[in-house]
Amino acid sequence: MSGTRTLHVLVMLGGMIAWAVQFTIIYGVTSTLCGRGWADATLFGIGIVQAVIVATTVLAFVPTALVFMGLLRAYRSLEGEDASAATAFMMQAGILINGLSLIVILWQGAPALILPACA
Amino acid sequence: MDSVARRAAGLLWALPVAGCGGVQSALDPAGGDATGIYRLTIVMTAGATLIFIVVTALLLYAIFAPPERRAWLGSRRTIVYGGLAFPVVTLSLLLPYGLLVMRDTDVPRPGALRIEVIGEQYWWRVRYPAEDGQAEFSTANELVVPIGRPITVSVTAADVIHSFWIPNFGGKIDMIPGRINRFNFTAERPGIYRGVCAEFCGDQHARMAFDVVALEPAAFASWRSTQAQPAPEPAIPFLARGGELFRAGGCGSCHVVRGTEANGRFGPDLTHVGSRRTIGAGQFPNNIGTLAGWVANVQHIKPGARMPSYGSFTGEDLRALAGYLESLK
Repeated sequence: MSGTRTLHVLVMLGGMIAWAVQFTIIYGVTSTLCGRGWADATLFGIGIVQAVIVATTVLAFVPTALVFMGLLRAYRSLEGEDASAATAFMMQAGILINGLSLIVILWQGAPALILPACA
Repeated sequence: MDSVARRAAGLLWALPVAGCGGVQSALDPAGGDATGIYRLTIVMTAGATLIFIVVTALLLYAIFAPPERRAWLGSRRTIVYGGLAFPVVTLSLLLPYGLLVMRDTDVPRPGALRIEVIGEQYWWRVRYPAEDGQAEFSTANELVVPIGRPITVSVTAADVIHSFWIPNFGGKIDMIPGRINRFNFTAERPGIYRGVCAEFCGDQHARMAFDVVALEPAAFASWRSTQAQPAPEPAIPFLARGGELFRAGGCGSCHVVRGTEANGRFGPDLTHVGSRRTIGAGQFPNNIGTLAGWVANVQHIKPGARMPSYGSFTGEDLRALAGYLESLK
């Protein structure tokens, strides 16, 4: 696979990769902090567990949103051009995957705003 | 024959409905938390059933409808709205709803009545710690609670893992030796409910139940006050003889009867055993007959229980002993 094609695949799957990283960090950090009894620990008045979840969610969401919007812009600019079917397909798939990933990343971060830490 | 078959089919259909109410049913909630979980269950079940029916109908349509009529199923619009937008919207509504139910369930509340329950093979030790000048006391196989007041039950186990579950009040929590877990609920309806062990704990796991009695606050205060008292003196010679048999038979080495020399801690506290609704951890109604049967033949009724059968009593002695136990109100 050429370097460009590898990059295209990575961009297409970017949202899922961000989601996987967010999932791993949230579960790992939350389990560790809760297991050590830091459920009520705060940093500048914000619960550490919630802060980690919110920060991780933002860090996963922002790059995914940028990739999503970039792909959308690139796909629109393709219209009228003589792009290959494979390129158009990968862009469509990338838009879909990254768009759904944005929603899933939000779903995964939502409990931090509703549930108490380590509940 | 046909009518018999029809009746049998009707009864078969009625069977699932029997689980929708009663003293041991998650579908008949008697507390706020249980009601929240019940509503969530109904919404999820109804929604899932509806979606299943629609998807199945569409599937059948896709298989059997003429090609020109089913073509719209493969259109981009159908896929985007039915395959993407609908699941995203549905799950985006269900997720916060489920999280809000979780947030409001099993929450410790100030002023809660504390009760400690210890699971043992195959019964429940229930302890009411001292509170507001009221003395601590223990009972067994019966959880009595006031309605309207939050309850915090601290659970653990003395031997193997058990699980504490009162379906009508929601929640289910493991009882693990060496660890204390907590379960919070509020009874909103007076009545009698049934709790069970929900984790296989040995041969008699299925016979490890308990009664939950939800009382009006005044009735609960009266019950609590009575339970904290020592056992009443036998009122008549027949019962006194039963008490003497209890002492001579060595029952006091395993059981405590407060106010007497019986101070065993191994088995259930019998100070007010006569006031309980059932014996044998929810197995029989509590009366002289079942008490006598239990004492004489416990290993036949509940093989593996820690109490040996006392089959050596004469019939008259057994009646006196059971009468004494039944008089401990």
